[in-house]
Amino acid sequence: MRSARILVVDDNPTNLKLASTLLEIDGHEVHRAGDAEAALLLIASTPLDLILMDIALPGMDGLTLTRQLKADEKTRQIVIVALTAFAMKGDEAKAREAGCDGYITKPIDTRALPRQIDQFLGSSGA
Amino acid sequence: MTEFLESILLVENPDAILVTTTEGRIVHWSNGAKAMFLYDKTETLGRLMDDLIVPPEQIAEAEKILRETVESGFSTYESIRRRKDGSLVYVAISGKTVRDKQGEVFVLSTKKDVTHLKVLRDAKLVEARFGNLLESTPDGIIMANATGRIVLANSQAEKLFGYKRGEMRGQLVETLLPARYRRSHVGHRSNYFAQPRARAMGAGLELNGLRKDGMEFPVEISLSPLETDEGTLVISAVRDITERKRFERALHDKNIELQNAASAKNRFLANMSHELRTPLNGIIGFAEFLSDGKPGPLNDRQKEYLGDILNSGRHLLQLINDVLDLAKVEAGKMELKPDTFSLRASLDEVCAVIKPLAQRKGIQVTARVAAELPPVTLDQQKFKQVLYNLLANAVKFTDDRGRVEIDVQPAPDQRFAMTVKDNGIGIKPEDFHRLFTEFEQLESGHARRYEGTGLGLALTRKLTELQGGVITVQSEVGHGSAFTVTFPLAIPPEHP
Repeated sequence: MRSARILVVDDNPTNLKLASTLLEIDGHEVHRAGDAEAALLLIASTPLDLILMDIALPGMDGLTLTRQLKADEKTRQIVIVALTAFAMKGDEAKAREAGCDGYITKPIDTRALPRQIDQFLGSSGA
Repeated sequence: MTEFLESILLVENPDAILVTTTEGRIVHWSNGAKAMFLYDKTETLGRLMDDLIVPPEQIAEAEKILRETVESGFSTYESIRRRKDGSLVYVAISGKTVRDKQGEVFVLSTKKDVTHLKVLRDAKLVEARFGNLLESTPDGIIMANATGRIVLANSQAEKLFGYKRGEMRGQLVETLLPARYRRSHVGHRSNYFAQPRARAMGAGLELNGLRKDGMEFPVEISLSPLETDEGTLVISAVRDITERKRFERALHDKNIELQNAASAKNRFLANMSHELRTPLNGIIGFAEFLSDGKPGPLNDRQKEYLGDILNSGRHLLQLINDVLDLAKVEAGKMELKPDTFSLRASLDEVCAVIKPLAQRKGIQVTARVAAELPPVTLDQQKFKQVLYNLLANAVKFTDDRGRVEIDVQPAPDQRFAMTVKDNGIGIKPEDFHRLFTEFEQLESGHARRYEGTGLGLALTRKLTELQGGVITVQSEVGHGSAFTVTFPLAIPPEHP
């Protein structure tokens, strides 16, 4: 397993800490953002391989941010995995439509997360 | 003088005076005929009487009388004729054959309008026979004759329509209808007299009556024919259903209100589920993370207590998922995704999940599937959820070193029956009906000894019924329970 540059976007500080900590322990370089605006600032200055994206965010929501990043030549190659507590039918389809490469529902399975992240990184060819 | 007399007899005579050929073709049409039937002379000359003034039901009789008149030279009778506007009149008819100078035979007839006399006669007849009886019924009763004239109305009917005593007699029944219904009613009325039978009028329709003061009110009407020596009468029983309509509307409004409340509840549950999952992510995630020892080593007690947090968190998550599923089923949003699968393989998969739980309590789980059962077409994921819930219950409510058996057999009508049987604590018969109800965990005697959400069986029943299945239970306290679900081998079309 190799180290990747990952941004975790989540407005809930505990959940932000959980996902970040798990990925750091796994040896990844992890950046954190509490909303879409903070995420945009970070993306502009930091090269990234993958974004773990919460969907319900204050201000700009995760799907809008995803669309924006996938429309931009410079950020299109970043793998985006939706991470959401919306486990309703149709939510995954909406995330895929916005351009998400993967979809994980909360609560996350801490034991499975590292392998899931590796798979997304591997399958994207990044 | 003679000429003058002849002219007034012919021109001013209020009776209709007609001369026809022996086939009934009109050759003379008097002013009285025009006043009575509303046709102009020019519209009638050369036409057959049958086509103009004889109602279809009277044609056979009219033709017979014409033949008899031609044979015997004379006739007198009463019948019904139709005016140009479609309304019917009772006429007294006298006929006589005459010859012109060439000796050709014609029929001369006079027709006198006796509609009102007829109404009086009919009224006398029915009043003598039914008068008192009709006053004693709670409904408004109106009798009409074949010309559509009211011959009798009881006082309830007069009160209903706002008329004075005897004032309705002789009126056309259409007077009691709002103008927009009148034209079509005349047609219905003549059809009714052509084929009279007892029936409820306008069943399932909004039917209104018209009071004398112009107010409309909803009515329910039933009709039945009455044969008399004076011809067929029709009896209508009229009931004012204003109150009932008001009640129905109130009920309808209440139903909509309830539906709105139910969907608000389901929306609330769906949102609630999302809100609850967010903090659970932190609770379950960190507990799992710690208990795996990732941030550092733990002693056994710390590990045990973290395991308790984790189990409670997972229990809460299961509860939230069940609530969400129930809300989805109730909102009709649960969709079936049928595929064809082997029961044996599906059973093995669920058993593999349940075995660790069973082994911890030393419970033996066995499964038997009848070899002749073909692959089935159901929503496999929901089928597994049903089996899992039944097995998890069986293991939960069975003491250590007990037994849980699964038996799958063919059932009649292209179905199969799957029974999950345990030798656990059992259920009291009086509790059976509460088993499948939300939040009704049976606690009597074993309170809190077995944790559960109280949702499992309610959801299991709904998932079963969604696929055309039925769930039943047999149990005896202290001797165990057997839950049986029967499913169709393939989901029937009415459960797509």
